[in-house]
Amino acid sequence: MANPSVANAPTSPIEADRDATRRHRAALLLVLGIAIVLPFVPPFTGQDYQRWLVGAALLAAMAVAFDFTAGYINVVNFGFAAFVGLGGYTSGLLAVDLGVSPWIGIFVGAALAGFVGLLTGMLTLRLRGIYAAVMAWFVGLAVMGLVRNLPDITRGSLGLNVPLLLDTSDNLPYYYVILGMLVVTLVVLTVVIRSYIGLAFRAIGQNLQAARASGINPTRYLVLNFALSSAFAGWLGGFYAHYYGILTPDVMLTSRTVEVLAVAYIGGRGSLWGPAVIAFPLSIAVELLRTQFANLPGLYLVLYGLLLIVVMIYRPGGVAAAARSVDEWIARRRRPEPVETPRAT
Amino acid sequence: MAILEISGVTKRFGGLTAVDNVTFSVEANEIFGLIGPNGAGKTTLLSCLAGDLRPNGGTVRLDGRDTTGLPADRMCRLGVGRTFQIPRPFPHMSVFDNVVVAAAFGDPKIQRDQVARRALDMIEYVEFPRPVTTLASHLNAAQLKRLDLARALASGPRLLLLDELAAGLTPGELTSIATLLRRIRGDGVTIVMVEHVMRLIMELCDRLSVLHYGELIAHGDAATVARDDLVREAYLGQSYIL
Ligand SMILES: Nc1ncnc2c1ncn2[C@@H]1O[C@H](COP(=O)(O)OP(=O)(O)OP(=O)(O)O)[C@@H](O)[C@H]1O
Ligand SMILES: [Mg+2]
Repeated sequence: MANPSVANAPTSPIEADRDATRRHRAALLLVLGIAIVLPFVPPFTGQDYQRWLVGAALLAAMAVAFDFTAGYINVVNFGFAAFVGLGGYTSGLLAVDLGVSPWIGIFVGAALAGFVGLLTGMLTLRLRGIYAAVMAWFVGLAVMGLVRNLPDITRGSLGLNVPLLLDTSDNLPYYYVILGMLVVTLVVLTVVIRSYIGLAFRAIGQNLQAARASGINPTRYLVLNFALSSAFAGWLGGFYAHYYGILTPDVMLTSRTVEVLAVAYIGGRGSLWGPAVIAFPLSIAVELLRTQFANLPGLYLVLYGLLLIVVMIYRPGGVAAAARSVDEWIARRRRPEPVETPRAT
Repeated sequence: MAILEISGVTKRFGGLTAVDNVTFSVEANEIFGLIGPNGAGKTTLLSCLAGDLRPNGGTVRLDGRDTTGLPADRMCRLGVGRTFQIPRPFPHMSVFDNVVVAAAFGDPKIQRDQVARRALDMIEYVEFPRPVTTLASHLNAAQLKRLDLARALASGPRLLLLDELAAGLTPGELTSIATLLRRIRGDGVTIVMVEHVMRLIMELCDRLSVLHYGELIAHGDAATVARDDLVREAYLGQSYIL
C-alpha cells in the first residue's frame, strides 16, 4: 500500500537534509575564513583587539561545550566555570610544581575535569530541570571553595603564576591556537551530536519518559554528556591558564558561567555553531563597552541580560534558529516545493 | 502459554493503594482488555508492567522470567512496548526521528542500517497521514496517538501495552484503529489494552479484567464480564447498553 507520508523520506536520521547540511557547512567555512583573516584587517591589527579576539574565540569554544549539555539533554550546568577552572588549575599546578609542559598539562586538566564532570552527571541523574542545575552549581561552588581554601597548593586568591603556552606574549599566535581549539571543539561535539548518541541526548532532553520507553538508558547518556562537556571545559581552561599566565579562584565564579550561558542562549540552544559564531561580535562589543565605560564595571552583564531577554521573547531558538528560517526561506524561493497540506485523519 | 503473568501486584502512593494485589495472566497472542472507572488504577498497573513504576509488592513475569522492578528501558529492550494515555512525543523532532529513536535503541537485535527502514515501515504500518518530516509539535491529538503507536511498534515488541489509544477518536478513526490492532495481533504481537470505548473492547478483546479502586473485581471472557452485575454497578452504570 502506497503511503504519501513516506515519499521522499530520509534514509537515515543523521543525514536527514543533505542540502541544508551542505549549505550549513559552506556558511561555517566562510565564517572560519573570516575569523582567520580578521587579525589582518584594521582595527583588529592592534594588540588590544587581538587580545579581545583571543577572548572571543575562547568564549565561543566554551559556549559550544556548554550548549552540548544545555541545548541537548536540557540540563543547565551552572557549575560550568568551575570545570574550566579545574582544568586550568590542574594544568597550571602540573607546570609550576612538576615542570610538566603545558601542552601535556592541558590534556591532563581536560581528563580530570571530565572525570569530575562524570561524577557530577551521576549526582544529577535523578534530578530534573532546575534541581539538576542547582546540583551542578553546588559542585562548582565546592570546587571553587576547595581552590580558595587550599592556599598552600593553589595560592588561593593571591593568584597562581603559570608559565605561558608559547615563548611569546604576542597575541596573534595564541589566537590561532585557540581558533584551532574552537574548531576541534565544534567538530568533535558536532560529530557526536549527529550520531545516534546525539539522538539519544535529544530524546532524553525532550521527554525523559518517552526516551526510557524507547529503550534508552538515560544514565549512560547523561553521564557521557557531562563528562564530554566538562572535559572540553577543562581543556579550554588549560588554555586560559597558560595564555593569561595567572589563575585566581575567580575564574570559577558563577558570573563566568552566566556569561557563557548568555552567549550560548543568544547564539541558539541546541545548535552548537550558533554560540560559536555569535561569541565574536558579542564579546568584541562587550570589550568596547568596557573600555568606553571603564568606570561602570559589570555593565557587560547588563548588555547580556538585555540581549537574553530580547532573544527569549522574540527568538527562543536564538540566532541559529533565525538563520535557519532565513535558510529555509531562501531554499523555498530557489526551488518552489508544494506546501504540505495537513489532511484530516 | 502465558507471555505475561502478574501476581499480587500492589502499588501505593502514600496512603493511597492505587493497585491492590492484582493477579492475572495474559496468553501469548491474545488481546487482553483492562477496564475500570476513572482512577481505578489502570494506568498505574500498566506503568508497573512497563517498568515506569516499581510495584510495592508482587511479581511480574515476562515469558516466565521475573522482571519485577526492571526499569522501563530494560523492559522495552526485552520486548515490551507501551503507548501513553497522553502521548509523549519528542516535540522538536520530526515524526521520522521520533520513531527512529525507538527503532535504534529499543530493539537490541536491529542492525544500524535497518533502523531507517524499520522506522519508515512502522510509520506506514500505522497509516500515518502526514509527511514524515513534520515536527511532532505540529501534530494534532489523533496524529500523536498514531505516532505513539508507531514508536511503540518500532522497538519490535512481543507485548504491546496500550493506554486508551482510542480516547477522543472519531467513529471513523475507531474503525481504522480496530483494523490496525487486529493486524498487529495477526503479526504475532500480544496486546494488553486499557480502554474506555466499550465498542472497541467488545469487538477486539478475547478476555477482560475489571479494576475498581485498585482491585480486580471481575475477570474472564469479554461477554461474560460485561454481563457481570458487579461490573455493571461499579463501572458501566445502570444505563449501560451493550
Ligand atoms: N504519581 C502519582 N502519585 C500519586 N497518586 C497517583 C499517581 N498516579 C496516580 N495516582 C492516583 O492513583 C489512582 C489511580 O490512578 P490511575 O491513573 O492509575 O487511574 P486510571 O485507572 O488510569 O484512571 P483514568 O481512567 O482516569 O486514566 C488515582 O487515584 C490517582 O489519583
Ligand atoms: Mg489512566
